Amino acid sequence: MTVLAEVLREQTRARYPDEQGYVERDGIRVFWERYGEGEPTFLLPPTWEIVHSRCWKMQIPFLARHARVVTFDPRGNGRSDRPLDYEAYTRREFAEDALAVLDAAGVGRAVVVGWCDLGESLILAAEHPERVAGLVLIAPPLSPNQVENSVYSFDDVLDTDEGWAKENRHYWLRDWQGYLEHFFSESFSEPHSTKPVEDCVGWGLETDAETILAGFRGWDTKELDPETTAALCGRIRCPVLVVQGTEDALVEPKRALDLADALAAPVLLLEGSGHGPHVRDPVKTNLTVRDFAGLAPEPRRWTRAKSRRRRALFICSPIGLGHAQRDVAVARELRQLVPDLEIDWLAQHPVTAVLQAEGERVHPMSAELANESGHMESESAEHDLHCFQAWRRMDEILLANFMVFHDVVREEQYDLWIGDEAWELDYYLHENPEEKRAAYVWLTDFVGWLPMPDGGEREAFLTADYNAEMIEHIARFPRVRDRALYVGNPEDVVSDSFGPKLPLIRDWTEEHFDFAGYVTGFDPAAFADREKLRAELGYRPGELVCIVTVGGSGVGGHLLRRVVDAFPEAKELVPELRMVVVAGPRIDPAAFPDLDGLEAHAYVHNLYRHLAACDLAVVQGGLTTAMELTANRRPFLYFPLRHHFEQNFHVRHRLERYHAGRALDFETATPAVIAQAIAEEIGREVDYLPVETDGAAKAAARIAELL
Amino acid sequence: MTTVVRAPAEQTRARYPDEEGYVERDGVRVFYEVYGHGEPTVFLLPTWSIIHSRHWKLQIPYLARHFRVVTFDGRGNGKADRPSGVAAYTEREFAEDSLAVMEATGTESAIVVGLSCGVLWGSLLAADHPERVAGAVFIGPAVPLAPGHPERNVYSFEERLDTDEGWARYNRHYWLEHYEGFLEYFFSQMFSEPHSTKQIEDCVGWGLEMAPETLIDCQYALELCGLERFGDICARMRCPVLVLHGDEDRIRPHAQGAAYAEATGGTLVTLEGSGHAPHARDPVKVNLLIREFVESLERRPP
Repeated sequence: MTVLAEVLREQTRARYPDEQGYVERDGIRVFWERYGEGEPTFLLPPTWEIVHSRCWKMQIPFLARHARVVTFDPRGNGRSDRPLDYEAYTRREFAEDALAVLDAAGVGRAVVVGWCDLGESLILAAEHPERVAGLVLIAPPLSPNQVENSVYSFDDVLDTDEGWAKENRHYWLRDWQGYLEHFFSESFSEPHSTKPVEDCVGWGLETDAETILAGFRGWDTKELDPETTAALCGRIRCPVLVVQGTEDALVEPKRALDLADALAAPVLLLEGSGHGPHVRDPVKTNLTVRDFAGLAPEPRRWTRAKSRRRRALFICSPIGLGHAQRDVAVARELRQLVPDLEIDWLAQHPVTAVLQAEGERVHPMSAELANESGHMESESAEHDLHCFQAWRRMDEILLANFMVFHDVVREEQYDLWIGDEAWELDYYLHENPEEKRAAYVWLTDFVGWLPMPDGGEREAFLTADYNAEMIEHIARFPRVRDRALYVGNPEDVVSDSFGPKLPLIRDWTEEHFDFAGYVTGFDPAAFADREKLRAELGYRPGELVCIVTVGGSGVGGHLLRRVVDAFPEAKELVPELRMVVVAGPRIDPAAFPDLDGLEAHAYVHNLYRHLAACDLAVVQGGLTTAMELTANRRPFLYFPLRHHFEQNFHVRHRLERYHAGRALDFETATPAVIAQAIAEEIGREVDYLPVETDGAAKAAARIAELL
Repeated sequence: MTTVVRAPAEQTRARYPDEEGYVERDGVRVFYEVYGHGEPTVFLLPTWSIIHSRHWKLQIPYLARHFRVVTFDGRGNGKADRPSGVAAYTEREFAEDSLAVMEATGTESAIVVGLSCGVLWGSLLAADHPERVAGAVFIGPAVPLAPGHPERNVYSFEERLDTDEGWARYNRHYWLEHYEGFLEYFFSQMFSEPHSTKQIEDCVGWGLEMAPETLIDCQYALELCGLERFGDICARMRCPVLVLHGDEDRIRPHAQGAAYAEATGGTLVTLEGSGHAPHARDPVKVNLLIREFVESLERRPP
């Protein structure tokens, strides 16, 4: 199976460099980056040129919050030059590049963390001890003893390209991507490693077989020989730590143990880990590197158990504003039940805006969180957000944000952590269950990644793989989630399967979740007198009010324009029509035509009141707004974002159950179709199922049992 | 309420010493114990003689599984001699005893751990013999670097008082006449945390192993010792220092621990809700802090 159809543009980083530049040696330019300030400094050298410095993406944001980090792209990949001369790729050249980068970045001395170091870090530490304060070697392939490298000839034409026969000059020239896919599938031998494999294949495709072949005549010449390795080891005096996975399919663990012996260095054995634990088990690796560098003194304050105040930390996903509203409602109910409870929020914009307006305490470390909603927006196109892939392409941000969380709960004691679709928390707690030190509640309004039809086999495989990993997590570590609360009812869960040979989503969810019912965050009884509300909002009797709103991001601009284009025809069909377009901060309301009965506003205060009062709403397929309209029994048209599996499957399923709203397809909904739909739906009496009003209280009651 | 009628027989220990013995200086013997083997050594110092080395009972078994542990009964209590006269109980005598125990146990250097008054002799040892003290963990330092609690300064120690309320019991006449009453009061203040009955009983029992006359000598010795030079002693110390101090310490204010950390360039960890003896009342946290500190010295981060 092909992993990557194309080289994707770089995904949003959790942190961008504070300084970058090139160093030039013998006419060859090498690109470097510096992140953060202060001491110590970490130098993260690239491994060989099959990948580039992005292979450290899971380490940089965390380490740079505590220290200074310098990294660089190897000659032959990334933004560095690609010399075609064999001598340009010796390990000594890499070591000299590292020194030049340290000089350019103004770094005297660094803790060097190497992945699959072929010798450059050993040369640095042995020959330039004044520049190397310590050395962490992750999956080092070098051995002081003679080892067998490959059974296949690198240079001969082979009659097979099975397995490691792909490590062959002729195969590389024929199918470089095929080699990369093999190499990195072997590197990440852990199950569910699709993303690391894709990342590395993508980086490998930024160079090509010709460049790689310039610097490669087989492993015997690529890496330092055993005699040189042994001699260098004998000269290294700085503290060294060797980190080695027991399931490393590329480097026999014995090599790392022998090397550690020669260095008289301790070994951290990671059982079950493959060749890239810093990528596949980044939490453990980050904490190990932090401790090695003595970066994390014990907190200076400890409160004895009986003296502790009752505290909860609420981690609220910023993707969609609905989480903020319902979480505030849950928090309010929770305080009713546990009056002495203090709640801190670890959250980011736009959630923080809601929290501040509600007088909630946003933890100051929230400022360190990498921006998730900005990433989502950057992944969107015309009424289109492939949210599964966008979420996968957020792995660096999610890990960076988990590490922020980890720093917070290391310093401060909480009784309870509540994560509302806090993916980073849920995922990395199951990956590192020893880090769970409080009761933990998981909240979500959908279960199961679902493939979009045009994603083909690959997307079906990926969604099933993520679902399988989640199912395995819960089965293996049922103690991690003390409560799993579904925001809705069992019937709201889709009837699909998690994937081939996996359970049905509905069955599994009923077994593993409690159901709170829907949490609206407001009481629809407050809007029962609709005539009074309309009068307050300035809507005249006889007017038929249609509100068009697409949320705060720029993704909705295309839908807004399409609906505005439908206005003239709709106005002919419905002469009493008054269309109110809420453009949001990213779209200029002046761009809309000046027509009688059409108005556009950048912002509408208390939009939910207008939605409660209107005769029709036109919205995207997001759950929160659609369910607000359902609870207020308003007719509405909704347009699920293209490629957004949650809006297309999960939300749509739920709305259909409530008989609520009318789904339109952005692809086929011409202005004429929209005008017709407006005319049919506006002012219509609805037969929606009622939406419960006690969801927040039910959720809070289940949570309070843990306090 | 009477807490302890008489000093009970020692309860079963979790671990017994691998080696024990006496060292004698000027005819005064102190009793030491060694637990475990290897490097480094953690040296648990005596504190004010009102209690003896058993007050480290919740540290020894754990630390001895990771390090070599040496401790001793200070003069005046436990299995140590009880010389009479104030001069026998100065901070210098305790520091010299400590050095003698290190010699006797073949301890080249150690991480010293001290409680309250033990910080006085621990500091003197570290300042005068820097090569023998690799680091220091000091709990609830009783040091003259910040004012004491004002309520402890109301009554005379010397004069006969017409009240025996509260700290009025910190009085030589009261000690001589109601020694056990004093012990019960003192340790109820030492353990300000709720539910500390066992800790108080233990300490009262150890206090009953000595006579009030000896404790009075100790008290005068503390008053006499050269505390006005204490800041200079701190300035001479070179080893890494970790200070643990409860913010509800009723014996010695948290400010003294904070000032001591400041004076020695050490690290202060504040234990919120803790009294004067967190090693007895929150032993898990204190054990982990000691171990982490010792290992951080071993690791020597790059």
